Amino acid sequence: MKFLPLVENEVLKLWKRRRFRLVLAILIALIGIIVFAQVEGRRRFHTKDWRIDTQEQVARMRNWLRQSRLPDTQRRWVQFEIARLQYHLDRNINPEDTSGPLFSRGFASASSYLLLPLLAIVFAADIVSSEFSEGTVKLLLTRPIGRRRVLASKLVALLLAVGLTVLVGGIVAYLFGGLAYGYRGWGAPFLTGFRMTPAEALDSSAVRAVPLWQDALLSFGLAWFAAAAVAVIGFMTSVLLRSTAASMGTMFAALILGTILPRLASTWEFQKYLFVTNLPLPDYATGTPPPIPGMTVPFSVAVLAVWAAGALAVSFEVFARRDVLA
Amino acid sequence: MGEPVLAAEHLTKRFGDRTAVSDVSFEVPAGEVFGFLGPNGAGKTTTIRMLVGLARPDRGRVRIRGLDVAKEFSRAMAHVGCIVESPDLYPYLTGRENLLHFARMLPDGAAARIPGLASLVALGERLDDKVSTYSLGMRQRLGIAQALLGAPDVLILDEPANGLDPAGIREIRRLVRSLAEERGISVFVSSHLLSEVEQMCDRVAIIHRGKTLSTGPVAELLSRAASGHRVVARPGERALDVLERVFPGRVEREGPETFLVAAGGADIPAAVRALVEAGVEVAAVERRASTLEDVFLEITGGETV
Repeated sequence: MKFLPLVENEVLKLWKRRRFRLVLAILIALIGIIVFAQVEGRRRFHTKDWRIDTQEQVARMRNWLRQSRLPDTQRRWVQFEIARLQYHLDRNINPEDTSGPLFSRGFASASSYLLLPLLAIVFAADIVSSEFSEGTVKLLLTRPIGRRRVLASKLVALLLAVGLTVLVGGIVAYLFGGLAYGYRGWGAPFLTGFRMTPAEALDSSAVRAVPLWQDALLSFGLAWFAAAAVAVIGFMTSVLLRSTAASMGTMFAALILGTILPRLASTWEFQKYLFVTNLPLPDYATGTPPPIPGMTVPFSVAVLAVWAAGALAVSFEVFARRDVLA
Repeated sequence: MGEPVLAAEHLTKRFGDRTAVSDVSFEVPAGEVFGFLGPNGAGKTTTIRMLVGLARPDRGRVRIRGLDVAKEFSRAMAHVGCIVESPDLYPYLTGRENLLHFARMLPDGAAARIPGLASLVALGERLDDKVSTYSLGMRQRLGIAQALLGAPDVLILDEPANGLDPAGIREIRRLVRSLAEERGISVFVSSHLLSEVEQMCDRVAIIHRGKTLSTGPVAELLSRAASGHRVVARPGERALDVLERVFPGRVEREGPETFLVAAGGADIPAAVRALVEAGVEVAAVERRASTLEDVFLEITGGETV
């Protein structure tokens, strides 16, 4: 039996349910607001000379370190930022020289730990459970097609939707960012490879410049991978809980846990094996400090892959075996 | 009878300690409308879930055209169209989009049947409206159109008359009869209404507390149920005296002036004459159709539903 018509069905349902249009609207609105806020902020607080701005920023952050009692992760990040800015100052490179492409690349790392996974969950949470709550699962699973095949078609549709969301996010960020900062600059050099030494100093020995498009591609790839892993785990909760609200609630709680844990309990090292802690991986691909020291991109990719594989195994086994009593 | 198209063999399903369905067996030959009659909660829907592979029987098996549903699910289901519990379709799609959706899950050619089926179930001009705007009767008919998309040999309908008005019930009945008689489709219909089964089915199985009590032609089943008449007459006391005299031990007082008489139509004229001669005004005499409860009382020997 052919498989593509099943995927076509699932994509059609995603689209007709207006989920997809809602997610695209959210993306466009959010990115629009961010660009607007950034442009406004720059106009107010920035002088004409980027060196003065950057020096002021470094001074401000040094003050933070002296005065306030920052949590460990934030302290590490501020130290890193100071060192990174100083590195740029020393070499006379404007760290905030922005462009549409640069904004788009920034969107990938800023959205991979919360926004994109959240949107992925909007799709994943009800792609299975809605069939139960609407009772249509009784028809879907009494057609001459095996249950695993039906579930696989839903999985493919979900991954397509997540991929399209990341793609549209990147394009919209580029278009809006370009409107504010200009559309050129994909080939501009981008500094990557900053590292923290164990003594928490900046290790710039591995810093190198790559063309921006190369780093942007990596960032979006990692952001897609993170969102897809979350989607697959949300897919499992949708299968297990058979309720859209319960599945969304569980997944949102997990995501929020992922943003809180590294801040409030940074010494609990085991959290690096939780999928939520590994989501900001495009961020530390360039060298910013990871949530827990010692986490690397390959490590996070592996952790997410193991979680996703486990979620898939559970989803398919449970879905294929369980009695449908909806 | 030939090879049965649909056969249930010793189906048993337990939920925890409760046995929902216990050792249910039946066979439905080609072209027969088979009624599955029982009160709500008797195990009808659980049985249907096992017939179509939604639930796994703890014991027993289902065969469709000889194919074991548990072992050859896809091949067996190619012969089945069904509505389980209620005609749930996607409310945010139109009728046509729903049919196209399910046609994509069938071998090529199913989509070509859509126009014919739409006119068969009289959905023609509403086919491109969203299902969320449909009445329950229209959903029921769209559900049947969906079930027929794959040109099945067996049609399984769970309480098809639920929530329909009398005209809608009549339409469904006519449709089911013509599918069986003209196309030779076997139809399995569950219901908790005796009158519905009586008018639609050739043969019937009665299920009660998960067990089949009796299987046979509808007429045979009905003859086992007590029939009677309701008499409304005043003054009540004198009417009771007269009725007790004509039908000793067969009168039950339902209200001040209402009586239930366990007697057939042949005895009624004499009783009316006796009432009138005694100066009793007879306001109404009506035949009381035998109800499912009556049949149960008869079969179970007094155990109530």
